[in-house]
Parts: sequence; structure tokens; C-alpha cells
Amino acid sequence: MTAALTPLNAPLIQPGYRLFDGPLHDVSDVTLGQIGVVGMPSDWTHSSRLGTRFGPAALRKATTIMQSIRPQDASFDPDTGLCSLPVANWLVDCGDAEVTAQDVNATTEAIAAMTEVLTVAGAIPLALGGDHYNSFPACLGYSRGLIKRKPATRFGYIQIDGHLDFSDRLGAWGSHNHATNARRISELPNVDISNMVWVGIAGWVDGGDLELIEKQGGRIFSASDVHKLGAAEVMRQALAHAMRGCDELYLSIDIDAMDAGYLPGTGSIVHSGITPRQYYDMLEALATAPLGGLDIVEVSPPLDPSERTEFLAAEMLFRILHRFRTRPVTAQ
Amino acid sequence: MPLRSDPLPRMAGHLSFMRAQSKEIRQVRAGDLAVLGLPFEDTSAPYAGQSLAPRALRETSVYFGWHANPQFSHPVDIDARHEIRTDGLHERLCDLGDITKGHDEEIQTRVKTTTQQISQRGACALILGGGDHLAETVERALPNCQTTLLGGAPGKPQDFQIAPLCDDTTDIYELDTSARLIAFSKWRDKSKPLFVRFDLSVFKTSLSALCDQPRLGGCDLEIVTQWLATLGRHEVSAIMLTGLNPSRPGMGIVKVGQRLMVTALLAFIYARLGFTNVHPDCQTFKENVPK
Repeated sequence: MTAALTPLNAPLIQPGYRLFDGPLHDVSDVTLGQIGVVGMPSDWTHSSRLGTRFGPAALRKATTIMQSIRPQDASFDPDTGLCSLPVANWLVDCGDAEVTAQDVNATTEAIAAMTEVLTVAGAIPLALGGDHYNSFPACLGYSRGLIKRKPATRFGYIQIDGHLDFSDRLGAWGSHNHATNARRISELPNVDISNMVWVGIAGWVDGGDLELIEKQGGRIFSASDVHKLGAAEVMRQALAHAMRGCDELYLSIDIDAMDAGYLPGTGSIVHSGITPRQYYDMLEALATAPLGGLDIVEVSPPLDPSERTEFLAAEMLFRILHRFRTRPVTAQ
Repeated sequence: MPLRSDPLPRMAGHLSFMRAQSKEIRQVRAGDLAVLGLPFEDTSAPYAGQSLAPRALRETSVYFGWHANPQFSHPVDIDARHEIRTDGLHERLCDLGDITKGHDEEIQTRVKTTTQQISQRGACALILGGGDHLAETVERALPNCQTTLLGGAPGKPQDFQIAPLCDDTTDIYELDTSARLIAFSKWRDKSKPLFVRFDLSVFKTSLSALCDQPRLGGCDLEIVTQWLATLGRHEVSAIMLTGLNPSRPGMGIVKVGQRLMVTALLAFIYARLGFTNVHPDCQTFKENVPK
């Protein structure tokens, strides 16, 4: 657990960046309705192209820079035609979880402990990867916290991703790695596969995994579905499927669902044809979804010398968190 | 060489195209797909690096070597919901390695001889370039072939240019694939095998920054895949991949170009080997080269 940092004992200038230039506090200081950020700088559960250990730092820097160049007062969004004002104290950055290389259990428990505390407090954990395995411990802590806060509540799950990540094992990496995270999440006690939805899956997938998901009621929207049905409609259907009998949603954002031509800085690239605009439309379609927790994973700055990947990913956070960081300006 | 029974990490083990078994030319049989690397480049080209493409293509192809990974069941094309069985792929796909280095004339002789030997055995050469300056050498080795081009520099008048079209007024992205397929059918002489030139520049530039000939417009992956699947149903003596520069300045870590090419090429391989239900009429080929 990170040591408590409060405004009273914080340094004059906190070193480094925090997500959205938010304050740095301990997880125990985050309160109801706030976004609690947990960094997961781990990529040793990825099987090939590494670098996502630098993802949390890159997202913190990119969101801070983008925040600084956005209007600080009331602003008009030409896309939606709406005016909004920034909200104060909507997000707290809780720093990074302790990563123990070569000890997946220790890392898992360190991440889960932070997201559990946040969830119990009624805050919304936002976990920054790291490779996609880290989504499992983030969701594990959310699941445990939800059981404590609302024991009878079940949650739905949406994973935007180029891959299913539903393998039971992956070669030499065993059962806990970036190809098994969704499978491990499906084994949590308060989620059912019939409430799990994958969006943006591209190319060739393992037939056995696909069959297992669909036999148990899970739903998959391919990248082609996004192109044919439209991003917003796909996400409307995905949300409806995921939320059947559920009160909250856990959202896992794997940036690699976007076509690698736009976003090359990720470990397992795909050519989905999904554009940044389509990806953002999908996230905006979740504007009113009952988010209980979320993560964004697979940002690998060393794999994209242009740095555009981390800024595209940062924009994803701006979109999905729009309703938390702004409030509408109502007509007088 | 039998398949491994244990999982192998992607970056480990002997590097071959899609984990194919290594063979010598004398072991190639009719109906095989024989991979051949040409790690050479035109030294007068504006950028250096295309000679690294064969290795880059092999490295990225390992991701698609499901048949050699016992933990996977069978691949499904999630977009088309189309399932294939890759049984037999290991027996019919082989990697012959790279042409050895030497003086230009020696290299050209080796390329020509090897290409002819593969064709004479009734196999299809899957050639990993390299610069496209050796494409004409391959073409000369297969004088009875019809040449069709996906990307790259314009071919000869008798060739079929799938894309780009020489007509500057045509927007490739809006290209009417159905109309082009009809034109291709009219052009095609089925008594002759095909030589397919597949250059990275066929794709629109937004999909890959690793091409030395960036093109505004260009095709998307779906169109190229559709064409390669179609071409795979014909008798093909050789398909040659060119145009990839995996080490364009500052872009050495970005693997997009090779991934794009191999993703599309998979459609050709599956169609050529008759693995797809949608192409049940895949022909076995008999080579047509001068004796």
C-alpha cells in the first residue's frame, strides 16, 4: 500500500505527473463518487512485445498536457453542441501499485488491494496498465469490494479489445498473463459469462475460446460489426447485454482494438480498421453507463516513437470520463 | 520434422515462416507452398532497410503459426465467422531459407534457378523480398506466367494492375472491386499460371508508415485480403512480397507493415492450400516453365 500523502505533508511541487493533473492521495482518502487512479506499471505478464510498464506514466503525462491546453472554464463542444464546466475534486491519483517482478500473486494482490479499498468506499477505480493481465487484479479488487459494499450485486463486463484474452493458459506463461485475463475475470463470483461482452475483436481467434464464450451466453462484436452496425449502436447493444440483471459495469479498455495504423504503440497490434473516431464514439456511447470500475491497458510508449499512441489513449480517458470531469451548463 | 508437442514462446526457437518446417528444394513436392527469402535491396534506393524485410516478415508470421502451437484449437475468422481447419498445413508449407549473398549477377542467377526449381516441382514459391528490383528476375524465371500487381511500380502493358491503377483520376479507395474482378477474369488466361507481385504500397498510407513509397488513397486490408483470396484460387507459380522497410528512419520498433502484409497474405495461403470452405475449388497446380 502506498504511504498516505495529504495536502498537509505534500511537497511544494509533487514530482512527476498525475492523471489529469489531479491530486496525489492514498486510496483510503478517496471518497464516494470520485475516480481513484491506480497505476499498474507491469508488463512481465506479456508474452512478446514489452513496454507497457511505462504506460501509466505516459497516460499521466499525456492527460496532464491535454488538460492544460483545454478550456479551464465553460466550454462548447462542437460535436455534441453542449456547453460544460470543469468539475473540481472529481479524481484522485493514488499512485502505482507495488509490482513484484516474477511474483504474479504478489502483484495481483497489491493491485487488487488498492481497487478493493476504492470500491468499498464507493469510489470508481480506474486502473492504468500495464499489459492486459493487470486488468484481472484490478477487476478482482473491484469484485471483492463490490461484495463488501453491495453483497448481492452482480456486475456486467465489457471489454473493448482486438483480442478475446479468454485462453485458459498461454504456453510458457501459464494461467496468469495477458491472454487469460478475461478468462480469470469470468471465474469471479459476482460476474457471469452471459453478462460479458467483447467489442472490436479482429482477425483470427481461437475457435475453442469463441465456442466456450458463446455457449455460455457471452457476446462478441467483431471489428466488422463496428463497421457495419456503427460504433454507437454496437455499444448500445453491448451495454444492454452486459447489464441484464446487473447494477454496475466494469469496463476494460484495451487500446489495441484500434487499427495499428493509427495506434502502433501496443504489444499485440491488429488491423481492425477501427479509427480513433469510431473508438471514441464507442466510449461516448457509454456516457450514462453505471460504471463501477474500469481500466485502460496496453499503452506501450517505447513501441511508438511518434508518441501519438499515448495521446490517443489519453483522449479515450477524456471521452469515457466526460461526465465525471464536467457538468453541463444549464440555460438560465 | 514433427510438430512440437509443447508450447513455444513466440520469440523462441528456430525462426521460420509461420513455424513451417525447413526443407531443401529437393524435398519440395507438388502442391507445396515453399517460402524463399530475398534479403537484398536496391542500394540506390532513397532509404536503406528493405533487405531486413524477410526476417521481419518471418518474425511476425510466427504469430499466425497456430498449427504449430498445441495450445490452440482451430482459428476462426471473427469477421466472417468462418472456421478453418489447418490440418495438413505443416505438411504443405515449408521454408527454404534465404538466397545467399554474393555479387549481383550471382544473386540473380540463384534467384532465377531457385524459382524455376520450385516451379518445376509443382510448388508455389512464396518469396519474401527485399527490394522489388529482383521481381523482374523472378518474372524472367517464369516466362509463361501472367503477372498481376497489387501495389508497386506500374507493370508492363500486358500485366494486370489490380491497384494502383495508372489512371490518375481513379480514387483507389473507392475502387469498384466487383468491376475489377470482372476485368481480371477477362484478362486471365487459365492456361498460364500467375506471378503475383504484392507490394506494401498497395495499402493506404494511414495503415502503415513503413513503406518507402507512401500513397495517398490506396486499399484497405479488406480489399487486399479479398484479392489475395481470389488469386489463391488460381494456379500461381510465385507470389512475391516487396516494399516493406522495417527500419524506416525512427520506425524500427513499429511492426505495423509486416503485420499488415502477413495478415493479408494469410488469405492467399489458406486459399492456395484449399483450407477455406468458401474456396472449395482451389486448383492444384502444375508448373508451366521451360524445360
